[in-house]
Amino acid sequence: MAATSKFVSEWWMQRISAVIVAAYVALVIVLLMVYGTPNALQWQGLFANVGFKLATILAIIATAYHGLVGTLHVWPDYVKNRAVLSVLIAYTWVAAGAVVLWAVYILFGLK
Amino acid sequence: MSDTPLAKTRARPVYRNIGLGDLARYRMPIPAIASIVHRATGIALFVCLLFLLAMLQMSLKSEAGFEAFRSVIWVNPIAKIVLLGLLFALIFHLVAGVRHLIQDSTRWLDLAAGRSTAFAAFGISVALTALIAWRLV
Repeated sequence: MAATSKFVSEWWMQRISAVIVAAYVALVIVLLMVYGTPNALQWQGLFANVGFKLATILAIIATAYHGLVGTLHVWPDYVKNRAVLSVLIAYTWVAAGAVVLWAVYILFGLK
Repeated sequence: MSDTPLAKTRARPVYRNIGLGDLARYRMPIPAIASIVHRATGIALFVCLLFLLAMLQMSLKSEAGFEAFRSVIWVNPIAKIVLLGLLFALIFHLVAGVRHLIQDSTRWLDLAAGRSTAFAAFGISVALTALIAWRLV
């Protein structure tokens, strides 16, 4: 029962995180389509905006979670060697954690 | 009673092993291709996340960093092809993901809809990638 509810909540979280990332990607694509290729001032100005910073970090956290759950589900379908699989699982957790920490540094700690 | 079990057995074609020639004739149905490409693009995007963050940091650090990003990465033809490949991966993963979300609601699950929407996912992704590439060049 506990295992079932874990899978159900994971199923929902995978879709909720997907919608968050999709909304952010759609926003960035629309901005690029409307304004065209940005110069340094425009690009850095966009990322200096607190609202856009928050939207970006939310999208990156959702991306890291979505990628973590997605790849952890996919690896065992193709990698049958236990040792290789363990390395991939460890890499996946470290990469997902590193992405979030690094993004926080880039958006809120740089300069 | 004219055909004995023996005669029937003889009439059947016999496949002992699958050779490379046979392998080339097997085709995955388009929904299966869409499914495997959705997985492959997901893995590729996850693996490239750290590189994308490195580029974001470079582009945000200073005006010189932004110009270095533009001149080194965006103008280099090989880097551009890799970035456009990643853009296609992102767009396809998104479009195919929306298709999966709609299928979660039990729509588009019959064979005909599965085929046509899988084709559409590829077509829409290629068109969107081309449009964005054209706008950003």
